[in-house]
Amino acid sequence: MSLTLPQSAMSRRRVLQLLGIGAGTAALAACAPSAPGASTGSAASAAATGGTKTDFAFSSWSFTEEAAAPALEAIVKAYQEKAGVTIKDVSFPYNEYINQLTLQVKGGQFTGAAHVDVAWLGSLAAMGKLQDLTALTEGRGYTDAALSAAQFDGTQYGLPWTIGAIGLVANSDLLKKADLDPDAFPATVDEFEKALKSLKGLGGGLIPYAASTKAAQLKDILIWMETFGSPLVDGDTVTIGDDASVEAVTWYKSLYDQKLIAADVDRFDARSLFAQGRAAIYDDAPVGRGAVTEESPDKDLGSKLVPLSRPVLKDGDTPRALVWGGAIAVVDGEGAETAADFAQFATSDLDTVLADYEVRGLPPVTTEAQQSDVVAADTFGTQFNDRITATSTSNPFWKFTAYSQIETVVAEQVQAVLVGKTDAKTAMQKAGEAAQKLVA
Amino acid sequence: MSATTQLPAAPTPPSASSPADAARPPQRLRRGALRSERPGVRVAAWATVVICGGFGLLPVYWLLATSLTPRDQVFSYPPKFFPSAPTLDAFAALASNDQLFGYLRNSVIVSVITAVLSVLVSAYMGYSFSKFRYRGRRSLMYLVLASQMFPQALLLVTLYSVFSAYNLLNTYTALVLSFTTFTLPLCVWMLKGFFDTIPDELIEAARVDGASRLRIIHSIVLPLAAPGLIAAGLFAFVRGWNDFVFALTLAGPEKQTLPPGLVNTFIGEASTAWPELMAASLVVSLPVAIAFIALQKYLVGGLTAGAVKG
Repeated sequence: MSLTLPQSAMSRRRVLQLLGIGAGTAALAACAPSAPGASTGSAASAAATGGTKTDFAFSSWSFTEEAAAPALEAIVKAYQEKAGVTIKDVSFPYNEYINQLTLQVKGGQFTGAAHVDVAWLGSLAAMGKLQDLTALTEGRGYTDAALSAAQFDGTQYGLPWTIGAIGLVANSDLLKKADLDPDAFPATVDEFEKALKSLKGLGGGLIPYAASTKAAQLKDILIWMETFGSPLVDGDTVTIGDDASVEAVTWYKSLYDQKLIAADVDRFDARSLFAQGRAAIYDDAPVGRGAVTEESPDKDLGSKLVPLSRPVLKDGDTPRALVWGGAIAVVDGEGAETAADFAQFATSDLDTVLADYEVRGLPPVTTEAQQSDVVAADTFGTQFNDRITATSTSNPFWKFTAYSQIETVVAEQVQAVLVGKTDAKTAMQKAGEAAQKLVA
Repeated sequence: MSATTQLPAAPTPPSASSPADAARPPQRLRRGALRSERPGVRVAAWATVVICGGFGLLPVYWLLATSLTPRDQVFSYPPKFFPSAPTLDAFAALASNDQLFGYLRNSVIVSVITAVLSVLVSAYMGYSFSKFRYRGRRSLMYLVLASQMFPQALLLVTLYSVFSAYNLLNTYTALVLSFTTFTLPLCVWMLKGFFDTIPDELIEAARVDGASRLRIIHSIVLPLAAPGLIAAGLFAFVRGWNDFVFALTLAGPEKQTLPPGLVNTFIGEASTAWPELMAASLVVSLPVAIAFIALQKYLVGGLTAGAVKG
């Protein structure tokens, strides 16, 4: 029996023909229209001084999210009534959002306001189509930390919308069962490890700390590297591979070997484990609160959530946390001026921000909103702000357009250590070298 | 020979790859064939059937079970094989979501047109490659196949630029053309293999009887190739039905199909509505599953026709 589809073996000439066709098509792809020049920020300036309002598009991944959509729809409706314009909503799934937005912006298909993760600002700014929104920040009461989080390379490419951090979140009931005081949680890494052992002693298969161990989320290790004293990046030089980063990964591996952290956990798994009461502590941003309380059979879990300062290497160090949050950027083009005005309205109009807070529960970015009664009454929110967000810093890799690939190469090496394929020193040196190539 | 004279009976090839054979359902095992074996062999045979069946059906069962489980129990530990408090809430949520019906409508339109277009074009192309001899025929055949060699992401960027230039983004046309780009090569080669099994003598006889070329294709060849056409159409339909990335990128919100629509609706930044997502997945799988069941004999025959000889 023989296959009949290919009627004869491909000759070398035919292979070359096919390669030629392939090269031709690739060349055509490379000739795809490129993005026009960088934005001058004129629309934002015009918006700051007021001007004729026009229709525009607003993209966000939250338009179709069951919990968040009502908040966004209310904001859009309020602005449409105020400005007498129509806003076209555009939505992509969160995991596909940055790729889709990049394609649309590059292709000139999208202009207007875009909800973005602050981590993406560098990549989007590199396209040269984002407005500088500095003129819109004046007199609106944005906190300095929030403004800083929505900047890239010193330029205000986004207006901060909700800025927080990724920090440790614990189940206070489980801490108390292990005789740990949630309000006086271990301050140092050594004490933290002892606390995890106490939690493990509770038995029942409890995972003391549902830290990320899947490659997709192992970028969480970066904050522990900083805790151990690694700067990660010095100027344009990646420092991963230094003693502090090696020490951090060695410690992480020891937690893994002692089963104080579990295998194959990413953020979604950690939330599920925590929601089911199978994990006592995990890493998350304020946005995770809704997910864990909704998934949990414990209807009272919300009142048991307690944010914890990340332990430090030695007494006196500042607890580390990674900035997390969303901003509204404005893509130059049709409707950009009104979109910029909308961005300012959505992020700093007090009534709008507070109404948004009541639905989404995400930290606001203006001093006035943060001091309002409704925000102050949220114990979890204020504790999260005081214990975690207050000392948070941006991921130093975000300034590089290849930050995502950098995080991936580091994560892969850390995972190799966790599964015992290599040692921490060798792995971190490799990770540092690979990351350096991506920076260059 | 008059015009009404019957066509001469075509010589039947010795292989089981003629269109008639392809349309015939696979030969069944003799009733009681397993029973006649020794008990040990029978047990092993049935155990294999159960294991293989379980391997295939367990994910489907889990899909169903999750769709019937309340959201706060989806990740309960230890996992429950049978939902302890089954509910139809997820299905009720689907029924009340008008947007999903819009996605469904778009999927049906795009998939059906893709299937029809793919079959239409590939039938003529396959026939041409199979029954005509002309300069550049083989190069063209491999050129058609070459499009399968490129990563989808590369083609996506190129197609995006082209559709953007021609103002076709956010239209059904963009989706149908892009899906057909992927389905056409396989359909063409599949149908070419099928046409190869149709004896040239049959076509010659029709020609002697005075049938025009189009008449030969439409009245003789295509009816004989029906199993292959159905198989190719089903393949193209499923390709259009399941696509995610192209539909997400090229369709826009109004023309979005089910796969990106479901992800957009049920998978959020921080959480996933698993019961609703599973319920929706179950519902949208039904048309394809029904189509497969109804047409499986043609599909199997059509896919394998011309694949082997000797």
